[in-house]
Amino acid sequence: MEPRDLNDVVGRLLGPAGPEVGCDVCFAELDRYVELELAGEDADAAIPGLRAHLDGCPACREEHESLYALVAGESA
Amino acid sequence: MTGATLAGDVSTIPAKPALPLDLDEESRTWLRSLRDEGAVRDAAITRLHALLLRAARFEVTRRRATLPHLRGDDLDDLAQQAADDALVSVLRRLDDFRGASRFTTWVYKFALLEAAVKLRKRAWQGREIPLEDDAWNAFSDTTMEPVALAEQSELVETLRQGMETVLTAHQRRVLVALAIDGVPIDVLADQLDTSRGALYKTLHDARRKLRASLEASGLTPNAMSEESD
Repeated sequence: MEPRDLNDVVGRLLGPAGPEVGCDVCFAELDRYVELELAGEDADAAIPGLRAHLDGCPACREEHESLYALVAGESA
Repeated sequence: MTGATLAGDVSTIPAKPALPLDLDEESRTWLRSLRDEGAVRDAAITRLHALLLRAARFEVTRRRATLPHLRGDDLDDLAQQAADDALVSVLRRLDDFRGASRFTTWVYKFALLEAAVKLRKRAWQGREIPLEDDAWNAFSDTTMEPVALAEQSELVETLRQGMETVLTAHQRRVLVALAIDGVPIDVLADQLDTSRGALYKTLHDARRKLRASLEASGLTPNAMSEESD
């Protein structure tokens, strides 16, 4: 196992501090969240807990990054 | 596999006529075509498969660095499989689409999910998946820089104690595998014969308990973060 930064380990052990949705809700809302983000609207207020979940779940975070990049590329 | 071939595979999935209100015109056209019959539906499915394949290839291209040993043909096969699986999922869940986003954005997430899961599983194929319930060893001084360890001995000790005393063995295994060893959640879900959602719930519960135990010890996460800076 490679040495790693303590903050990083603690952050991943403790996860996000606030309330968060689960993976299923994240998937259900991800398309709306990304379109709100791209429209410059307050996606976090519209879908509370989704950003916290993205902070705590690397798999959902990857899928969010990809959907954002794909749709943003189409809109450009 | 082509969309036309898949149209036969999914013909038993019932098509329902009700359309969500306030749909944009493009999304309305997609839904009407996919809920039509015969050649119109077959053509729509072929177009949908092409859309999903484009999204799957987008994901494979983004993540190909995680699979340096795979050739281009292997990666494209993976994208094709992801598009095929996503097509089946989209057609099965067509009635779930409520128009909260454009139809194309909604379907993209299925292809990206299928491709991402396949990529993560392929990257871990043949690798040992650590499932240690002895979190003490996993969270040992080999996991972090020696200087940081010396400076943060109180924090590390408190975390170790919390992991040993407040978590169940299953919660420890899941927390260590996901948060320390970096096992992808889909890979671990397969290994433990559970779902990604259920596994994340276990992770979430473990994290909450660990936070509470730290706070009970007088170390709030914020204070710990400042100390660690």
